[in-house]
Amino acid sequence: MGVMADRLEASLDGLADTREFGSWMVAEQKRIFLLCRRMLQDVEEADSATQDTFLKAWLALKRPESRDLDDPSKWVTRIAINTCLDRLRSRRWQFWRKRPHPDDEATVLSMAPSADPDAERQVMAREIVERLERALDKLSNRQRAAFTLRHYEDRSLAEIAGILDLHVGTVKVHLFRAVEKLREELHDLYFREGRK
Amino acid sequence: MKHWTETDFEQGLYGLKDRDAHLDECPECRGELERLTQERRRVAAQPEVSREFLEAQRRNIYRRLEEPRRNWVAWRWVISAAMLLALALGLTLQRSRPTAPAISDDQLFSDLSRMEQSAEPKAIQPLHSLFEE
Repeated sequence: MGVMADRLEASLDGLADTREFGSWMVAEQKRIFLLCRRMLQDVEEADSATQDTFLKAWLALKRPESRDLDDPSKWVTRIAINTCLDRLRSRRWQFWRKRPHPDDEATVLSMAPSADPDAERQVMAREIVERLERALDKLSNRQRAAFTLRHYEDRSLAEIAGILDLHVGTVKVHLFRAVEKLREELHDLYFREGRK
Repeated sequence: MKHWTETDFEQGLYGLKDRDAHLDECPECRGELERLTQERRRVAAQPEVSREFLEAQRRNIYRRLEEPRRNWVAWRWVISAAMLLALALGLTLQRSRPTAPAISDDQLFSDLSRMEQSAEPKAIQPLHSLFEE
């Protein structure tokens, strides 16, 4: 990466903050990629959407008025979500699009080792987590965005509203419907051992 | 005392139900909500992404950051040449366009005078030819 960053730095005159952008991108890249993958349910498309996101971020940062960002993490999340929503919208016309193959994911992703010593429980939990991720397909684009930001990124409703440019009340409605649609998966996730 | 139901906990977890008086009073429900929140954070933990994949992705991003400039440099000559060609073609067509034959002033005044003296409009004249044998 260092060589590429140096080449880029040399080629773009007057943009001394390339290196800074590079390290910020490294810090945010994995999170943004996983967010895109959950939104798009496809590793290849998520890869492309992640690239688009950082490209848009770079171009926006080149504009002088965008230099002072209150919360760069929230800002890039917003770019990523909008990029994914655009792709989901245009997907309706792509009837020739091939379905993602699970093997593609396996080469890129692996689950983080769990602290749970019980192997059987670990396998079961993983299955439920995977089922929940697949079930995101049942949600509308906005519901998926709201649920992903809440469930995986632990964002507050106000933050989600800011990212999606919606009122908090609307975010609540989207989340409520998402939870309703995912009821079965969420039930298994949280109450599978017959808790209250 | 009525404890929170599963639905209450689900809604509480996703910010759809606010903490109520019961939750403040009931350590059992408070504990359960805390446990479920931890569980949600645990299961939502990010999976590992292959380092090679992320590095390749960064290389692609850097390559694409450079692309627009390169493309523009290459395309600006093509666009300029195409514009010049269009301009030259336009000028050539303009010059070769047939123009209406010029008529003399005498001819013009004679036509006008005939039109003025004529009882019927000039536009009707072609209709006469339909009835001529």
